[in-house]
Amino acid sequence: MTKRRELAKWLVVLVALHCVIACAGFFAPYDPVTQDREHPYAPPSRLHFLDTQGRVHLRPFFYPLRIREGSFDQYQEDTAQPIPVKFFVDGARYKLLGWIPCHLHLFGVDDARVYLLGSDGYGRDQLARILYGGQVSLLAGWLGAGITLSLGLGVGAVAGYYGGWRDEILMRLAELFLALPWLYLLFGLRAFLPLSVSPLEAFLLIVVVSGTLGWARPARLVRGVVLSAKQRDFVRAARGFGASDSYLFRRHILPETSSLLLTQATILVPQFVLAEMTLSFLGLGVPEPVASWGNLLANLQQYSVLMSYWWMYLPALAMVPFFLTYLGLASALQEWSDFSKIGASREQG
Amino acid sequence: MRFVSRRLIHAVLLIFGVSILTFLFTSLAPGDYFAEMRLNPQIAPETVIALRAQYQLNRPLPVRYARWVESALHGDLGFSFSYNSPVGPLLWVRARNTLLLTVTATLLAWGLALPLGVWSAERQGGLPDTLISWTMAVLLVVPDLVLALGLLLFAVRSGWFPTGGLAAVGFESLSPLDKLRDLALHMILPVVVLVLTALPVMVGHVRAAMAGVLDAPFLRAARGHGIPRRRLLYRYALPAAANPLISLFGFSIGALLSSSLLIEVIMSWPGLGPLLVEAILARDLYVVIGGVLLSTLFLVAGNFVADILLFWADPRIRTEAEATR
Amino acid sequence: MQLLIHVENLVKRYSRRTILGSREVVSALNDVSFSVAPGRTLALVGESGSGKSTLAQCLAGLERPTSGRIWFEGRDIVALGENQLRAVRPQTQLVFQDPASSLSPRFTALQILMEPLTVQARVGRREARERALTMMERVGLSRDLADRRTAEFSGGQRQRLAIARALSLAPKLLIVDEALSALDCSVQAQIANLLQELQSSFALTSVFITHDMAMAAHLGDEIAVMDRGRIVEQGSPEEVLRSPEHEAARRLVAATLGSSVTPRAL
Repeated sequence: MTKRRELAKWLVVLVALHCVIACAGFFAPYDPVTQDREHPYAPPSRLHFLDTQGRVHLRPFFYPLRIREGSFDQYQEDTAQPIPVKFFVDGARYKLLGWIPCHLHLFGVDDARVYLLGSDGYGRDQLARILYGGQVSLLAGWLGAGITLSLGLGVGAVAGYYGGWRDEILMRLAELFLALPWLYLLFGLRAFLPLSVSPLEAFLLIVVVSGTLGWARPARLVRGVVLSAKQRDFVRAARGFGASDSYLFRRHILPETSSLLLTQATILVPQFVLAEMTLSFLGLGVPEPVASWGNLLANLQQYSVLMSYWWMYLPALAMVPFFLTYLGLASALQEWSDFSKIGASREQG
Repeated sequence: MRFVSRRLIHAVLLIFGVSILTFLFTSLAPGDYFAEMRLNPQIAPETVIALRAQYQLNRPLPVRYARWVESALHGDLGFSFSYNSPVGPLLWVRARNTLLLTVTATLLAWGLALPLGVWSAERQGGLPDTLISWTMAVLLVVPDLVLALGLLLFAVRSGWFPTGGLAAVGFESLSPLDKLRDLALHMILPVVVLVLTALPVMVGHVRAAMAGVLDAPFLRAARGHGIPRRRLLYRYALPAAANPLISLFGFSIGALLSSSLLIEVIMSWPGLGPLLVEAILARDLYVVIGGVLLSTLFLVAGNFVADILLFWADPRIRTEAEATR
Repeated sequence: MQLLIHVENLVKRYSRRTILGSREVVSALNDVSFSVAPGRTLALVGESGSGKSTLAQCLAGLERPTSGRIWFEGRDIVALGENQLRAVRPQTQLVFQDPASSLSPRFTALQILMEPLTVQARVGRREARERALTMMERVGLSRDLADRRTAEFSGGQRQRLAIARALSLAPKLLIVDEALSALDCSVQAQIANLLQELQSSFALTSVFITHDMAMAAHLGDEIAVMDRGRIVEQGSPEEVLRSPEHEAARRLVAATLGSSVTPRAL
């Protein structure tokens, strides 16, 4: 049972992380597109509990950042005006989950803009951009994985169940697709589609294209499961009392694929998120001004940014807890399904 | 020999299939090199049409494919619009650089993965094993994009490593030894990233394969004969565990090639990666096709080598081949 | 008297792929012919690999033979299309060797028994449920077990369930494929008795497949010995037991000396 508990632990963490991203509007003090020309490339603001006179404040506060005289990107703290942090404040309007209008934010400050994770060249809040960008990247990951798994399930099921020439052709096709360097072809395909499309179109484009390229590996795995399920005696018995193919498939064979599909999903989603990030990083994915983890990192292609503005690297770290959780979930799922298979065969033995 | 020739035919057919698929995909997509030109009001539409005709982009698909195959057999692989030269030589120069990187990375990665995997399999559950597993888990989680950018950031801020390119300015005037050192210095970061991204999967497989073998009776018998530990591990255990590892070797070449695409772009290494991205952005059709095909070729070649190695290494497959002759 | 089942020159070949991609042909059934009269039991005896299970699958319409004919109630089921065959299949039911794999681990006992009736859609749910419960008791399982999953059943209970399921559609032919081999000796005897009793009360025709010659003699009206895809000897239990001619038959008879089941014939 500890296997199940471990699985539950990972699941809880995953759901929590996704909730944070889904409620980006709540956790971010500002929206991701408002520019602030007075604070380009502002470094992350430091949270203080001790003020310049050595007093401890229970409520943490920031000092506003002003550009130092004579420079154009060096900031210093203006210690004359401490700005206390307020929690659960009213702020800019946003739509929770893209639908429910809200204006409650987790934290915020009055009279100034405070950048917890710094700002970019246009003075946009990086924290907000990372959270909202996560929505785009994660959604791309899920949709892409969904398309691939659906295709893979369909193809694998047909190949495994009917066998014969259908199986031959489909598996040869799969071999072809597996031989393709996936990323290369993705780039190639993307590039030959119109380069200047709206963010929504670009998003859908990369999702659909990458989804349709990756079906081969899941298809092979599904085929294996379907083949072995087809040979199981209880499936034969069901055929024996006159069950039609679709009934057999629906009631007996499809349930066998569920654990495989789950495990594959936990492996594929991060891969598709990474694909979106790579494409956007190279300018072939989601374009500005919409934020995605990939195009947030695109700034780092400039030497000056690498040299002076280290906080622009932070979006790269944002995805690490997600990938870690997906990996943990994948291995917990794997162990759990192995475990239940061993348990089942021990009972039958 | 029949086995080898059969695998060879299989590989060639695969490459053909991929070339058709790539051709189909890239040609079906709307837009081409001259699409941007068409939007430019300063260029007359007739010019665009004439250019397209000159490069034969207006011919039907099968005709274009046939001509491309012909050009491929001559070593040209089509024509690049941006560079105004045949694609073949262009690719070749870049391919050499990519191979330099990937081959070094492959050797280094396996050179590390084998001892690490063997070591952690030997001390399963012990501290070294746990440490290695954790490190590998972290490396597995961190995507190559993040790692490459991170190392680049480090290079820029520390100033210890060059931040791009193949050679420093004034390369030509260096002594041979200095040239080598300069090259190595430029190679370190990209190779490190490639190795670190490939390592977790490899170490995992080596460990699993070795752990499976270490319990075997024949190994215990050998230990009973007093054979020293290192010999035992590397001359007895490892060959028995080799099968899945050889297949992984073939696969790892392909995986490293794919990773190198992105890393070359980030680290400004003049290999196939940047060329491909550039060509994609410029819609240089034949360069893209050529690039995709070349990397597929390496991938297929890697698998082919792995098949041959497997055939040579595993006596069971050989005897079955003899039997069916 | 019309024969219920008449098998003529049945051949079944499989092609296998080896690692190198070449094809290998395996002959599971090599020109098998026999017949069974209604209400009689044919015991098919053979060692593993002799083709017994393949024959069982072909008789039940679950595998198509490579060539040959199977006349079931005067119709050649080999010649039938898939849709027609599906209509015939309920009349030839198979009880498998391993009840753990022939009963879906996800379903409860009741669901398993109701499935044939639901699939055939002959009766409503309530009626199907009643019939299923009645069938359970008929094979010696208490109604309380209805909502349990088969993982909690013993081997003997599972086989009873499998038999109940096979009989739920009132088949004309019951094929029992090594159904007793996976059970303990004492349980074997119980199930064997159950089969005999069901056979007479339902007026079933059966083909009983086993590698145990003693069991075959106990349950069968006639014995056919299979070896490597062929029927090598046929006759009444007395004949085969007293004077086995073919080497395979002799081996099988020798193996039963020391078996605890007393053959009916001797």
